[in-house]
Amino acid sequence: MSELGIALRFLRGRRLAGLLTALSVALAVALIVASVVLARGVRTAFVEGTTDYNLVVGAKGSATQLVMSVVFRLDTPLPNIRVSSYEGLREDRRIEVAVPVALGDAYRGFRYVATTSAYFAPAPWRRTTLAVTAGRWFRDDPPGQPSHEAVLGAEAARRTGLRLGDRFYEGEEMAAHPLTVVGILGPGRGADDRAIFISLASYWDMNEIARATSDKPLTAVLVRPRRMSDLPGLHRQLNLADDTQAAFPSVVLLTIFNLLDVAEDVMALVLALVAIVSGLGLAVSMYRATWERRREIATLRALGAGRPAILRIVVLECGLLATAGAVTGVVGGEALAYAGARVLAGRLGVVADPLALGWPPLAVLVATMLVGTLAGLLPALTAHRLDVAEHLAPVS
Amino acid sequence: MRGLAVARARVALVVVALAVATGLAAAAHAQERPRLTFAQLSDSLRANFDVTREMKSYSGREVEIQGFIVPAGPPDLSFFLLSRVSALGNYCCEAPVGQDETVYVFAPRGARIAYDPLRVYRVRGTFEAGKHVDASYGVSMFRIRDAKVEEAVGARIFKVGESPRP
Repeated sequence: MSELGIALRFLRGRRLAGLLTALSVALAVALIVASVVLARGVRTAFVEGTTDYNLVVGAKGSATQLVMSVVFRLDTPLPNIRVSSYEGLREDRRIEVAVPVALGDAYRGFRYVATTSAYFAPAPWRRTTLAVTAGRWFRDDPPGQPSHEAVLGAEAARRTGLRLGDRFYEGEEMAAHPLTVVGILGPGRGADDRAIFISLASYWDMNEIARATSDKPLTAVLVRPRRMSDLPGLHRQLNLADDTQAAFPSVVLLTIFNLLDVAEDVMALVLALVAIVSGLGLAVSMYRATWERRREIATLRALGAGRPAILRIVVLECGLLATAGAVTGVVGGEALAYAGARVLAGRLGVVADPLALGWPPLAVLVATMLVGTLAGLLPALTAHRLDVAEHLAPVS
Repeated sequence: MRGLAVARARVALVVVALAVATGLAAAAHAQERPRLTFAQLSDSLRANFDVTREMKSYSGREVEIQGFIVPAGPPDLSFFLLSRVSALGNYCCEAPVGQDETVYVFAPRGARIAYDPLRVYRVRGTFEAGKHVDASYGVSMFRIRDAKVEEAVGARIFKVGESPRP
């Protein structure tokens, strides 16, 4: 019989103990894989889902709140700025594109985002461009002539069940201003997938205060300069102004990533301890198993198996247990990460596909097999040094 | 036995000589890499998007520039601006005036750069001077490609008229 066959027979001989040992390894691996994959998924989603515009201009207040609300729609918006601020930016020769954005209430949790067609216009510097897959864009209607047309993000359309031509509103006070679905977007980025886009005129008509003012309210303006080298000057000028602030979206994200780094360092420490405890558990289990079957090992030796063969058999057995636990753990961890991503996406809308995040599960798999095999060395050495004569003696 | 000892001594000698040579080569390479300042960049600008011949002579060479990171591009910092003034320095110092204040830096994707808005960074890479139009980032005058970025502890930014060497 081959060494692999003997190792498998040893495993079958203590099926329950082996199963429990592999299960403990699998749970540890699943925890590590799910944690690492989800943490990377959240970070990747923020990087991929950020805007292509370089500055977000809004009211004075928290830059993080401004970017999180306007770009990712994860926070409540800051107070409004005036449309005259946008007009000033539009006339600035340093600015290539300025896109006004006004965040409104929501329909069944999907926020109204009022803007112009410039928000969707293709440009060489845009990584992805949103496209209407059904219907058409809303009209860029002038103030005072609202069309109350809405274009739904892919996720908003799917979750609300709204279709082309449907009229909808939420709240009694909005019954006088129902919106009509004229277009549905294809899937793009997280935040835009969950938005209901309308024209600024429609937004202003739906708001009692906006109807009464001539200098209409906006939440923010997205800015793309003609030259990146103008950005520091623009940034400072807008921050020194009395009524606006300018925020670099990447500065906000990098600040959040710096905080996440600290949390991830702590998590890595905890996961390392989990890995050590799991490896020790495997070693103890194998040591006990080796000690319990010292008579079989002595018999194998008496039948001609050399010390190196015994060592290889025990290491092989431990490696098989670790591999079974690692494979089960990686599959379980991926499933856990997928379920976690679905929950987070439902709440935040910004989690990257965990199954697309390549190498970490593979690295955990290989590391577990390696550590598991190494954990078998101590019991293997015990078996290697076993005194044949002593353990073949009749049990009295 | 004596022959073996002599052979070992020779091998040790060769290893030491190689280490010294490598160290000297690294030191010489570091000396060859010029450090450019924002003052020099600013002084080199000429009309019609031109720069001086001296500044152009650095094009294609590896240089070092120290400054603040302004994350004007994506959050993975594969592109950012290097500036004389921090992105958070809104109230502390004179305002940047435009192209002479910034270098366009392109770093390899996946390079891990720990961003701190208030720290000065040492950026090394292949330098380009002169007008260039990039589809994603527009017109630039100074660029560093394939950049390596590290914190420049104790560094200071030199203004016009100042020099990094005493």
